[in-house]
Amino acid sequence: MLKKRNKIKQFFLLIILILSVLSGCGEFKDIDKDVFVSMIGIDLSDDPEKPYKVTLKLYVPTSSFKQSPKPEYTYLTQNGKTLTEAIRILETHSDKEVDFGHSKLIVIGEELLNANKSKEIMDFLLRRPDIQMISWLAIGRPSAEEIVKLVPQSETAAYPALFNYFDHNGTDSPYIVTTYLFDFRRKMLESGIDPILPLIEINKEEEHFEVNKSIVLDHDKKPHELSSLDTLIFNMLTRNLDVTDLVIDEDNQHFIAKIDNINSTYKVKVDAQQQIKLNIDIELFGYISESKNTMSNQQLPQYSEMVEAETKEKFSDFFTKMLNAGYDPIGFGVAYKSNTLHNKRMSPSEWDEAYKNSKVNIKVMAGIKSTGSIQ
Amino acid sequence: MSSEEILLWIRKQFENTTELTQKTLDYDNKYALLFYVKSLIDQELLQKLIIKPFFEMANENQFKAYLIALPQFQKAESKEQAVLEVTNGHTLIVIQHDLYLIDLQLATNNQVSTTSVETTIHGSNIALSENLMTNINLIRSYYHQASLSIEYFTKGEVNQQKIAIIYDKEHVNKKALEIIKQKLQQLDQQVISASTELNNYLNDKRFSLFPQMLMTERPDRIVYNIAGGKIALILDGNAQSLIAPAVFFDFMTTMEDNYHTLFISLFVRILRYAGLFVSILLPGLYVGITSFAPEVFRTELALTVAGSRIGVPFSSFVEVLFMLFFMELLLEASIRLPKVVSATATTVGGLILGTAVTEAALASNIMVIIVSAVAISTFVIPVNELAFTIRIVRLILLLITSVFGLAGLTLGLYGLIMYLVYLDSFGEPYLRLFNYQKAKKSSEGQA
Repeated sequence: MLKKRNKIKQFFLLIILILSVLSGCGEFKDIDKDVFVSMIGIDLSDDPEKPYKVTLKLYVPTSSFKQSPKPEYTYLTQNGKTLTEAIRILETHSDKEVDFGHSKLIVIGEELLNANKSKEIMDFLLRRPDIQMISWLAIGRPSAEEIVKLVPQSETAAYPALFNYFDHNGTDSPYIVTTYLFDFRRKMLESGIDPILPLIEINKEEEHFEVNKSIVLDHDKKPHELSSLDTLIFNMLTRNLDVTDLVIDEDNQHFIAKIDNINSTYKVKVDAQQQIKLNIDIELFGYISESKNTMSNQQLPQYSEMVEAETKEKFSDFFTKMLNAGYDPIGFGVAYKSNTLHNKRMSPSEWDEAYKNSKVNIKVMAGIKSTGSIQ
Repeated sequence: MSSEEILLWIRKQFENTTELTQKTLDYDNKYALLFYVKSLIDQELLQKLIIKPFFEMANENQFKAYLIALPQFQKAESKEQAVLEVTNGHTLIVIQHDLYLIDLQLATNNQVSTTSVETTIHGSNIALSENLMTNINLIRSYYHQASLSIEYFTKGEVNQQKIAIIYDKEHVNKKALEIIKQKLQQLDQQVISASTELNNYLNDKRFSLFPQMLMTERPDRIVYNIAGGKIALILDGNAQSLIAPAVFFDFMTTMEDNYHTLFISLFVRILRYAGLFVSILLPGLYVGITSFAPEVFRTELALTVAGSRIGVPFSSFVEVLFMLFFMELLLEASIRLPKVVSATATTVGGLILGTAVTEAALASNIMVIIVSAVAISTFVIPVNELAFTIRIVRLILLLITSVFGLAGLTLGLYGLIMYLVYLDSFGEPYLRLFNYQKAKKSSEGQA
C-alpha cells in the first residue's frame, strides 16, 4: 500500500518535472491584446540612410461580422535601416502586440526588386518565427504600399480580397501564379530552377487589382517580366490547369477554343556533345466556345490542326524568350539533375551555358471535340 | 440445548422489541409455536399455508411432513441462523425439538422498473428491481445456462445486507473472481446501503479518479457481460448492479450499439468518442489557442474571438473557469432538484444567465458556445460514472493549459493516457484496446 502510494507520488513528480521544463508557446497573452497583421508590404524608401519602408495592414477586430460587414483596417508605415529596425519601431506605434501569425501575403515593391536586396529581405522573412512559411509572396506595382492600402469595393470583412487571387478558393484563373514563401526560398537556393512571382497591379479607374503577369528572378540577373500569355503558358506547363482559352486568328478563321483538359509533360535529354534537348509534349482537349464564322462538325480535324499550329507557335515564342534570357522557371535543370548521376553531371555554370543553346521540340496534340453548337 | 432453552434464547434476542410475534397453535393434541416479524411476512400466505393446514392435519407428524414438503421450507442449521432468517421474513416454527423455517417474505420492492439511467430506443426497457430475488430471477430468465453461478455474501455489520455474486462458471475470469471474493471477505463496513458503494470499498486505492466497476441497471447488459466472463455484483434492495472487471471502453458503449446495423453503430460510436474528446479538450483548447497560439485559428475566427472578448474583464482561463463553474452548478442543481423545479432551473441558469453574462460582457459569446458544447458533449458519454470523472479531468487539463499552453495540453493528455494505461481493474488492464467481441472466442475465461 505504502509502496504503491510512493509510486503515484513519483509519477506526479515526474509529470510536474516534465511540465516545468516546457516553456509553452510563448507566454500567456489574451487574444484581445494582440493585433493581427494581414499583409506586409516592403518598399524601397526615398531615404538612402533608411532604405526599407515597411507597411503593415492590421485587422481591426469586431465582435460580430454580421453587424459590421465592411472591412476595417489600420495601417502602419515606417522606414528603417533594416527590416527588423522598421518593425521594432512599428511595434511602438501600436498599443497591442503585433502578431504576424495571421499574415498571409508579403508584397515586395517593384523598385525594391531592382535594388538587388533580395538576400536581406529573404533573410528577415525566413528567420522571424511568427511569419508563416506558407505566406504568399508577390510583387507590387507601382509600390507595395499602394497595393497593401487598397481596399476594393468587393472586399468583405476579415478576408482581404487579394487573398482570393492566390488561395485557389476564389478565382482560379489560369493567368495567376501562386508562390509560397517556402517554395520561393527553395527555388532561390536551388540551381536549375528560377523562382517566379505574381505581379499585382492596380486598375486606377475602377479601384481593383489585376493579377495576370509574373516576374522571373535570379540571383544576379535583371528580373524578367512575363506577359499574361507567357504566364498562361507557364501555368499550362507546371500547374494542372482545369480550363483555359486559346484564341485562333488565321487568314479566314477566327475562333476561340475552350480547352478543358490539358496534359503536358516534358523531358530533358542531353547527348554526348552536351547538347540539351527539351522535349515538350502537350495534349489539349476541348471545344469551340466562340467564333465569327459558321463552324462545321466535319471540319473538326482541321480546327484541331489550327489549334496545334497556334499553340506550337506560342510555346516556341515562350521558350525562345526564356532561353535567350537564360531563365528557367519550369525547372529543366532540376529535372536534368534528378536524372543524372552526380559524377556525370555538368556543373551549374556549364549547364547555364548549355541551357541557352538547347533545342526545343514541341509536340502538340489537340482534340477539338465539338463546335459547341447544336446542329 | 433443549428446545426450551432455544426458545428462551430466541425470546431474549427480541426482548426489547415489539416486532416479534409469537403465536401458539394448540389443537387436538397438536402443538406448534410460531415466531415471525409481522411487518415482514405475508399474513395471508401464513394463514393459507400454515395455520389452516394445522387444524386440518390428523397429527403432528403429518404436519411436520407437510412443512418439509412446502417449497418455502428451509432447514434451520443453528439458532443464530434461525434468528437472522426471522429478521429476513421467515417464519420459525417449533414443533417439539425441531425448528422449521418457512419463507413467507412479503416483498413490496419486487416490481421490475423501466430504465431511467441508461435509456435506449431499441432493445429492452426493463431495469433491475430493488429486490435481489427478483433481479436474480430476471437474470436467470435471460441466461439459460446450468453454469450460471450465484454466490451470496452477507455484509455490513449493522444492516447485514445480502450481496449476490453472479457469474458463469465456465467463462468467468477466475483471477478477477478470486480477487473480488477475497476483497468481499475482507470488507469491514458498518452499513452498506448501495451497490455503488462497493465500487469504493473493493478498491484498494484511496485516490482513484476512474471507476473500477461498471454500474448498470440493465439486465441485458449484465447478461452480455456475464457471457463475456465478467462478474456481476448485486446488493439486495438496490436497482443498480456492478460489473467487474471493467475496462475504459466498457464505459463508452451502450447496449444499443449491438442492436443497430454496422454503419449506424459505427457512426454513433464515432460521435460518442468525438463528444468525449470535445468535453475533455475544448476548455483547454480555448485557453491554449486564444492566449498562447492564436495562429491556430482561421483568421476570421481569430478576429471574431478577439472582437467578442473586447470588454471582458477576465483573462481567458478565469473566463472559462467562471463559466464552467456555473455550468457545473447548474448540472448539480438539476440532479438534486425535484423534477417539477428542475426545468425552471435550467431555463433560468442556461438561457437567462447565458444571455445576461454576454450582455454584461462578463464572458464572450464564443465562451458561452463553448460551455454549452462542453455540457452537451458530456451528456453523450453513456455511463454516468465516467461522465463525472470527465468533468474533473477537463478541469485538470484546463489548469495545466493555463500555465503551459498548448504544449501543456498535449502533454496533459499524454499524461492522462499514461495514467489510464497504469490503471487496472481487478487484474485486467484498464485501457485494454482489443475488441471484446473478437477476443471472446479465443480467450474464454480471460474476460
